[in-house]
Order: sequence, then C-alpha cells, then structure tokens
Amino acid sequence: MKKDYELLNFFRESMLPDLRGLEGKRKAIANGIWIAAGGLAGLVAFAFLSGAARLGGYGVFIIIAGAIWLIWSGFSLYGRYSEFKSEFKQEIIFRLIRFIDPGLSYSKDSYLPYPLFLESNIFLTQVDRYGGDDYVTGKIGETKLEFSEVHAEHKTETTDSKGNRQTQWTTIFKGLFIVADFNKNFTGRTVVLPDIAEGMLGFLGSMIQKLNFARGQLIKLEDPEFEKLFAVYGDDQVTARYLLTPGLMQRMTEYKLRTGRNVHFSFADSKLFIAVSYTKNLFEPRLFGSLVDFNLIKEYYSDLELAAGVVEEFDLNTRIWTKE
Amino acid sequence: MSSFPVLALFGLLGFCFIVIIIMINSLIYKKNSVNNSFATVDVLLKKRYDLIPNLVETVKGYAAHEAGLFKEITELRARTAAGGGNIPGQLADASKMSGLLGRLMLTVENYPELKANEGFLQLQRAINEIEEQISAARRAFNAAVNEYNNAVQMFPTSLLAGMLGYETKQYFTASAGDRENVNVGEILKK
Repeated sequence: MKKDYELLNFFRESMLPDLRGLEGKRKAIANGIWIAAGGLAGLVAFAFLSGAARLGGYGVFIIIAGAIWLIWSGFSLYGRYSEFKSEFKQEIIFRLIRFIDPGLSYSKDSYLPYPLFLESNIFLTQVDRYGGDDYVTGKIGETKLEFSEVHAEHKTETTDSKGNRQTQWTTIFKGLFIVADFNKNFTGRTVVLPDIAEGMLGFLGSMIQKLNFARGQLIKLEDPEFEKLFAVYGDDQVTARYLLTPGLMQRMTEYKLRTGRNVHFSFADSKLFIAVSYTKNLFEPRLFGSLVDFNLIKEYYSDLELAAGVVEEFDLNTRIWTKE
Repeated sequence: MSSFPVLALFGLLGFCFIVIIIMINSLIYKKNSVNNSFATVDVLLKKRYDLIPNLVETVKGYAAHEAGLFKEITELRARTAAGGGNIPGQLADASKMSGLLGRLMLTVENYPELKANEGFLQLQRAINEIEEQISAARRAFNAAVNEYNNAVQMFPTSLLAGMLGYETKQYFTASAGDRENVNVGEILKK
C-alpha cells in the first residue's frame, strides 16, 4: 500500500491539471441543472398563475414552449453528464488504478463475469438480474486479480386479490467483488460468512450455525476474535484449516475491521473470492461539490486499494508451495 | 382416568430413553471423529515419509557435512516405518520429524548450489506443502479432541462417558522443533 504523502504528490503532480479541466465541466453541468430547475419552477408558477387568471392562448403557447425547452435541456444535460462521467473515469479512476499498480487494466463499462460470481458460492439466493461496472483485471506479482462493482438482485412476483401483478427487486449483493488466484492448491469449497448468530447469541448462536445445512459442515476454528466475526462452512475440516492458517485468519479479521463493512470470503477452484458490501455507487464523480479535493481522491483511492491491495494483504505472492 | 399417571410415567421413561440414546450416539460420533481425523494426519505423515528419502539423497550430494542430521532423520523414519506405538507416540515422532526437516531446510541456506538445483526446489515446495497440510490436519485433530473431551467431561454426558469407559484424549501439541519450522518459512520468503 502506498503512503499518504505519495498519493498527495501524485495528486499534485499528475492529477491536478485534469481535475481542474473536469471541474470546469462539472460546474457547467451543475449550473445547467440549477437553471433547468429554476425554469421548471418558473413554468409551474406561471401555469398556476395563468390558470388562475385565465390568460388563454398566449399562456398555453408559453407553457408548451417552456416544456419543450425543459425536455431538450434535460436530454442535453444527461448527454453532457454521461460524457463527463466517462471522461472522469478514464482520466481519474484509471489513473488511480495505474498508480496502485501499472500492470492493471480497466474497463469502465464492463463488470466481473457472472460465472465467477456463481462459482464463489457465497450467495445462494437465485440471481435474476446481474450487473455492475468498473472492471479491473491484471496481475500483481505472481497473482492474477480481477474485481469490479457488482449488483446482483432477486426478483419476487406477487399477485394481489384483484389479480394485479407486482414485481419487487431485492438486492442480494451490492459492492466490490474481488477474485484473486490463491497461492495453494486445494479441492472443494470453503466459505467464510459474516457471523450474525454467534455475535448476537453466543453459545445458542453457535448451535443455530450448525443447522445451516445448505452450507456443509460448520468449521470451528481456534482464533476467538475471528470466530466472533465469521462463521466458516466447508466440505472438509482439514482443507478448511489448510486454507485458513492462523496468519490468514488474523489478516481476514484485520481486513474486516479496517473496512468496517460486511465482508464475505470463499475459496473455490483454486481462487479466493471476496465480497465487500457497499450501499453507495462506487467510483462515480460527484456533481454538487468540487472535484479538486484531495480527500475525495483519497476516498476513491482507498476503495480501489481495498480491492487491489488484497494480494499484498493476504500474502498471495508467497509461492512456497507446489502451486507456481 | 386412572390410566393417565401410568401413561405419563411411560412417556417420561420413553423420553429419558431417547435422550440417553442421543447422548450415547453423540459420544460415539465424537470419539469416531477423533479417530477419523487422526487417520487424516496419518495419511499425510505417510505422504511425507515417502518424500524423505528423495530429499535426503538430493541434499546429501551437496552437503556431506550434515551427516549427523541425515542419520537422525533416517533413523526416525525407520522407527516410524516400523509402525505400531500408540497415537501420542506417533504424534510425538511426527513433531520431531517436522523439527528435523526444518533444521535440514535451514542448513540448505549454507549451500547456494543446492538452492539452484531444480529438483531440490521442487522437493522443497512439496515438503513445505505437506508440512502445512500436516499442521492443518493437526489443528483438525485437536478440534475433534476438544469436542470429544468436552463431551467426556461435561455434565450430563460425563455420566455416560464414565459408564462407557471413555477417557479424555491427548492433544497433538507443537514441539520446539515445530516452532523452528516456522523460521524456515521466513527464510524462504526472503
């Protein structure tokens, strides 16, 4: 992980000019939005007043013309915003990714392929809609890494007594989904889930955990701090411990505490999967508020680092076992 | 009406009977999982056992000075090959072997030509892997022993364990030799 001052230097030396350029565009779009909002308010007020005074022909003409202007400026603003967003991602986000590791490549509109999400076996609910953006791939040292923002949803359809159909989308997962090549060979599956039952109910919770049949065997590990935060399920007691060494458990605990978010891990098909839940949309530019702000850039950086940093964080470049 | 107390008594007896059966079965299950997880340790120890002659032969060619260490390893290997012995004895030997192999890996640092030997590097990776797997299996074994010992010592299963003649089992503890092994990992990382 890079130091704060390194990021500050990078920010000053190679990001500031572009940020200033983007800031001009941002201001223009934000102003456009204010003007359109003002126009809308004026039009509504005019319609109300003219309606009350029964102005007739002229009034209707002005209202129609105003509405056309509003629709046109809405489209134009949207177009300008999309362009601005795309430029922001290419200039700022991609540059931050390269700053973390020059070997990484970035595609702003793609996302992690669905088969990988499925392979992780972290979420068992059926996924009906899957999407995302900001797909990063590459190799850090010996370790292949890919991640993106992912949003997976489940659809429920209900029919009320009158026969009206209602469709509801519930989020299964939204946030950063990271896949890294693991440094040991193994077979079978092991999942590390946030522990809700044991954290809240203690001993009773641990009894409830055992009843999670869909997940395979419950694996009780020795690290009490880790056990308080996570529940581990797997096909095999020994494989799970081969993967979850005392050192890795400690690192996972630190990672979870550092993010302060819900974190799921899983090991399958020789890979490590990590799902970090977020409520906000990641790596999007803000419209109302300056872009020329180091703290803002630092926030983007630390979200990226959370994903790109896993290779270092979990020591995945240590290749002293038979897997090369 | 008068049959109610009799029925209740039968019900209560039936319930107690079922509870006792469940407790006995859980004790047997826990005892079996201790044995089962020892079997896994044993499989891995055999795997390591098969790797040792190759390793000793490869290192011997380069590091003739370490004859004493080779002798110790070969003797210990022969002793484990003879088999027999109880579980605690076998586990103690396994720990000792980990320590000796750790020492052997450390001495390698003194022989740069050996570190450049492709065959040796492969063996070294294999040994690292098997050591890590043994350590995982050891932790699984200890977890099984812990569950079993809890059942044997905690009320009410402790009463049944006493009747069945179940006694607490010994953990597979790390010897000083194992801790030395950790250092090998550190050195290899550099």
